[in-house]
Amino acid sequence: MASLKRSFESDPFAQNISSKVYVRSTKSGKVQKIVREVYLRQDIPCSSKLCNACLKIAPRDAANRPIPFVLSEKPAGTSVFTQGHYIVPDTNAFLSAMDLFEQSSAFYDVIVLQVVLEEVRARSLPLYNRLVSLTKSEDKRFYVFFNEFRLETYVTREENESVNDRNDRAVRKAIKWYNEHLSKASKKAPAVVMLSNDRDNLRKAKEDGIPAYSLANYVSQLKDGEQLLDMIPELEERDALIEKKPGQFLYPEHYTLSKINTGVKNGLLHQGIFNVSPYNYLEGSIRVPAFPKALLILGRENINRAVDGDLVVVEVLPKDQWKQPSTQVIEEEAVTMNENPTEEGSDLISEKERKVLQEEAKRTLAKTTEGHALPTAKVVGVIKRNWRQYVGHIDQSSVSSSAAQGRKQDSVFVIPMDKKIPKIRLRTRQVAELLGKRILVTIDAWDRTSRHPTGHFVRSLGELETKAAETEALLLEYDVQYRPFPKTVLDCLPKEGHDWKVPTSMDDPGWRDRQDLRDLLICSIDPIGCQDIDDALHARALPNGNFEVGVHIADVSHFVKPNNAMDTEASIRGTTVYLVDKRIDMLPMLLGTDLCSLKPYVERYAFSVIWEMNSNADIVGSRFTKSVIKSREAFSYEQAQLRIDDASQQDELTNSIRTLLELSKKLKQKRLDAGALSLSSPEIKVHMESETSDPIDVKTKEHLPTMSLVEEFMLLANTSVAAKIYEAFPQTAILRRHAAPPKTNFDELANQLRVKKGLDLSVESSRALADSLDLCVDPKEPFFNTLIRIMATRCMMSAEYFCSGTQSYPEFRHYGLASEIYTHFTSPIRRYADLVAHRQLAAAIEYEAVHPAVRSRGRLEAVCKNINVRHRNAQLAGRASIAYYVGQALRGKATEEDGFVMKIFSNGFVVLVPKFGIESLIRLRDLAEPEPAATYDAETYTLTTTGSRELKVELFQKVRVKVTDQKDETTGKRGVKMELVSTY
Amino acid sequence: MASSQHVLLSPAELAYLHASLSLTPPIRPDGRSPTQFRPLVAETGILPGTNGSARICFADGTEAIVGVKAEVERTRTRHDFPSLDESAEDDDDLDDNQNDVVKGDNDWVEMTVEIPGYRDDDAGTVFLSAMLSEALLADGEFTKRLWINQRFHWKLYLDILLISPPLSYPLPLLSLTTHLALLAARLPRLKSEGDEDPLFDDDWAAAPYLYPRPSEKGSKATAPAPAARPPVTLLVMAVGNNIIFDPSKEELAVADVALAVSVGESSSSTTTTTTSTTSSKPTAMDIDTEETKGHNLRLLSVRTIDPPSRLTPPGIPNASNSAYGANAGAKDTEKKKQQQEQARTAESEAVEGVWKAPRGGAKTLVMATMVQKVLEKGGVADEVLDALDGVDLN
Repeated sequence: MASLKRSFESDPFAQNISSKVYVRSTKSGKVQKIVREVYLRQDIPCSSKLCNACLKIAPRDAANRPIPFVLSEKPAGTSVFTQGHYIVPDTNAFLSAMDLFEQSSAFYDVIVLQVVLEEVRARSLPLYNRLVSLTKSEDKRFYVFFNEFRLETYVTREENESVNDRNDRAVRKAIKWYNEHLSKASKKAPAVVMLSNDRDNLRKAKEDGIPAYSLANYVSQLKDGEQLLDMIPELEERDALIEKKPGQFLYPEHYTLSKINTGVKNGLLHQGIFNVSPYNYLEGSIRVPAFPKALLILGRENINRAVDGDLVVVEVLPKDQWKQPSTQVIEEEAVTMNENPTEEGSDLISEKERKVLQEEAKRTLAKTTEGHALPTAKVVGVIKRNWRQYVGHIDQSSVSSSAAQGRKQDSVFVIPMDKKIPKIRLRTRQVAELLGKRILVTIDAWDRTSRHPTGHFVRSLGELETKAAETEALLLEYDVQYRPFPKTVLDCLPKEGHDWKVPTSMDDPGWRDRQDLRDLLICSIDPIGCQDIDDALHARALPNGNFEVGVHIADVSHFVKPNNAMDTEASIRGTTVYLVDKRIDMLPMLLGTDLCSLKPYVERYAFSVIWEMNSNADIVGSRFTKSVIKSREAFSYEQAQLRIDDASQQDELTNSIRTLLELSKKLKQKRLDAGALSLSSPEIKVHMESETSDPIDVKTKEHLPTMSLVEEFMLLANTSVAAKIYEAFPQTAILRRHAAPPKTNFDELANQLRVKKGLDLSVESSRALADSLDLCVDPKEPFFNTLIRIMATRCMMSAEYFCSGTQSYPEFRHYGLASEIYTHFTSPIRRYADLVAHRQLAAAIEYEAVHPAVRSRGRLEAVCKNINVRHRNAQLAGRASIAYYVGQALRGKATEEDGFVMKIFSNGFVVLVPKFGIESLIRLRDLAEPEPAATYDAETYTLTTTGSRELKVELFQKVRVKVTDQKDETTGKRGVKMELVSTY
Repeated sequence: MASSQHVLLSPAELAYLHASLSLTPPIRPDGRSPTQFRPLVAETGILPGTNGSARICFADGTEAIVGVKAEVERTRTRHDFPSLDESAEDDDDLDDNQNDVVKGDNDWVEMTVEIPGYRDDDAGTVFLSAMLSEALLADGEFTKRLWINQRFHWKLYLDILLISPPLSYPLPLLSLTTHLALLAARLPRLKSEGDEDPLFDDDWAAAPYLYPRPSEKGSKATAPAPAARPPVTLLVMAVGNNIIFDPSKEELAVADVALAVSVGESSSSTTTTTTSTTSSKPTAMDIDTEETKGHNLRLLSVRTIDPPSRLTPPGIPNASNSAYGANAGAKDTEKKKQQQEQARTAESEAVEGVWKAPRGGAKTLVMATMVQKVLEKGGVADEVLDALDGVDLN
């Protein structure tokens, strides 16, 4: 009987076939044995330009030309390898020091092994993407060598060998092969050098006689190595921790993965995203599905090395440890000042922190009513770190005097701009240069033995408070893609560039199924100076007494085809980001401000929504069509308003705007009747000097009727389109929802209103809320209503994009707009969601075939997830930018303004100044010197100070504050500082 | 499938076979000695995707493949209250009152037997599968190996495939192949502790065998025999007082009695063994463990198999064969009646050289000898297990 097994002896190709056998555990708990056959080949080139042998076997393109080799024939040398060298980094070299490889001063001719690339991908997707873009860049000469498929470099896993060890061995084997292979190709072959930060791997390489260096050793061989040294994290030692005595552990150990999984499945442990309170760095919260309210996590030990944004697992603490959320402002800077970064304290909780906690405990004990205590929890494991690069600056006080001059390595603390991120310990040689600069750092690790996380320096953004550095810091902090568009994206633009025009011949394919609306009196109304005009409007009376109203949206989907480079880039950017002095476009300028933009007096492609309405603004009929329009005029809100108000203007265009205005008022009333909320957030505008773009003045935005004119019709268009695409694609329509906020969100605010003002806030529905908000008025204080609206807005959920298949129809509801279904359609130039909606609508009206990208639910969900994040970040970045410029505008000026107390703590309170739209914390210690004693009554939200200054501060109280600018020592941001002048 | 299929032998041939097998020593058609097995070829690990697999070819051309697949399954929590019942149940002989210890359940093994040309609900197939699983589950030791922790266990799927046409009764072939496949089977190594959700080592090379072997040292050519082994079911038949092992199809066609004897080997000596027979009266007998030098054998089960010989057509003695002139010329009906009666008596009486299907049950003495032959020191089971040790399990 012949054996059925593949016999490796008799098969001539046997050596080309190998198999990998491993056990895979799936998420659902299945355990599978996986067998993969590997077909090994000998025609994978080394890609060195020195090698002729590989040139013969190199893969060829369609024209039978060999694909050019990557690695240079004359690679750069180092002090050790004068003949030149190629670099082969192992996985942890990339993971820990990707920034190093992106340097332009060194790190050329790098061989990225397949096994390394795969490991990087498994460990960190962002780093993987950066590595891939490196391998694509032509000047860096990074070559991906598929060592796992080359016969000579394939290794099989040995018995009792961990995967990591096996992969390390594969790296060493590949390097060995490269060295042998190249020495055959040329007499003065460059050395192939391994870079690793793993001590074990380095040792084994030495045993095998392979040239290998740690990153630090290697960099010191380079010419300008000194500066690069800081970007290298410390050498990794796998078992280093065990050697330390258990007494030195500052933090409790995290649970094992299997224990966590079991716990989560059984509902004993809870998984969620860890959030740090912006006011108290020792207080975190986590929202888990099992509880209606967020769980509190108090204190360093319970937070247990979790960083804001991490996906963590928590365990609920026993009831006797339940606490009230802190009523105190605790800032890390203030409490942990003067800590010594080089010395690790043996106590987890420092004296000062303990004191703060003591006070806290006393306060809660004094009047702990069972009902007020909230469940607390402790972190028992981190599922996924959400560490990114953080912008910060070096804490001046952590720098020893000797370090400021010398060039020896020194430990300092970096204070991140984001107050929710803990201090990061950084070892650097360039303390002197980096002091007073905005720097970018990453967190490498957070051991049980170390109080603060350790990280390394990435790059410097420039001097603190320079516009360039601050703007870049802001963009980095909010993860805004601000790099210029790559060539591949620009290649997708129409060849004609700015000369592109709507084809004159109606036979042109561009005119297919397009309606000619050039004769309509269309105009656009936008803010002053708007270049990317998304929308235009028209209205005309019909013979039957009804009106025809059209909303015309820039036809971006005509220019941006699904799945090309431009589309991919736009889907990553997600939205255009507006900063005070800068706009980070989602689409290249040519499209955004010219070809798509519905500029006046020129013909443009548009996507039109046209309704027939009666004089009561009831919709009689609606249709959607691709069109060609010619806008008659581009108004600013102010211009349009003036034109409407000017009774002498009786031309057709002005009258049509008046019609629109009339209809929009009716639409708005209908919307409010249905329970739409009129919410508020402080909106201000920074006026710049046109020459230097320095801010000179800050003003609150005025609200004009023309603004709501545009807004109403845009809302109507969005709602109509949403219904249409949902009808066409019930599973995959891209929609926008605004979930009803959980009632508990309003508990605090409702209580405050009841106690302080005797007002009731009913939150059963958006209608009830809208009505009760209307009743929240203080006859003496007109701003009070706005204040409450601002606070109510903050209790709401944020609206989100979603794919219709993921929710049931009742969940589609937009709470704020009181609309059953809603999407974004009207700003495709600056929002990616609108672009997707355009494509879906085009498919729904059978203008074009459905593109798979528009139909695939998985893809759409990924897109929604991304644009939700981007959208939020863009808003935050915009606000931060305004805050920065407000600070700059107030620089050196001191003004007295009226403000309102929004939030009150036991040692401070937050004041909102409507004029500047800013809010700021006033601490007790800012009130007077020495700090006045205070008693805080949480029941009535009253803070009474005695001693050096006697005051009584209540919630919602109107106060007079002096607004000055101040450089915040903690974050290095110039911000607004308020001082209390008097209470009213 | 019935054990009785396709016996295409004439009564004369059957009579001849029966006579030669009744001799002392018996003469088997293929010249084997009574205890000799047909030569076979075996290998393991032929299906890389399974947890364990084996294939055996008999020289007569029958061939079987067995694959073992394991899945993690959540153990249903039992709703018994051991704390309350413990004292009450202490008197019982049942030793399952400790809840914390490793426990098995027969549901954890699912066996499917596939015989080409037969439906899977064919009585014969079901019977085969029942016999094989019975041998495996009889002592309750096997399923304990599948225990992971209180909340999880392995569910084992045994897929037994005969890939050749069933030329002879496939029971021994399937049993031996299953035995080898289980010996070769490995389960991923458990990394988690206690009653946590199980977490396994991703290294297949580190996966332990279902039947662990004593420390593997020395030469790798011969895999050391594991301390405990899965059961083997042997087919034994008797013709007269001769006991014949591994009967071929033709031999089985003349068997007076056929037994399927399942034998297990364990390191620990447990004395209770269960015995059951397919006959309507299940007789439980306690047979003490045979102490042998090489193997610690235990009888797990005995089943009688309906031998196909019972359904063979009988030969007609010349005396009652009209072709040979018996009763020629008899015409009237009364005579016919008499003749029929005579023929009936003739059938029941053995006539030398004329085939007559065996009747009645097996003699207990013969049965006892058969079982003893299997279990005795240096007996057939010993031999078979020794032979299987020679199979490379890696």
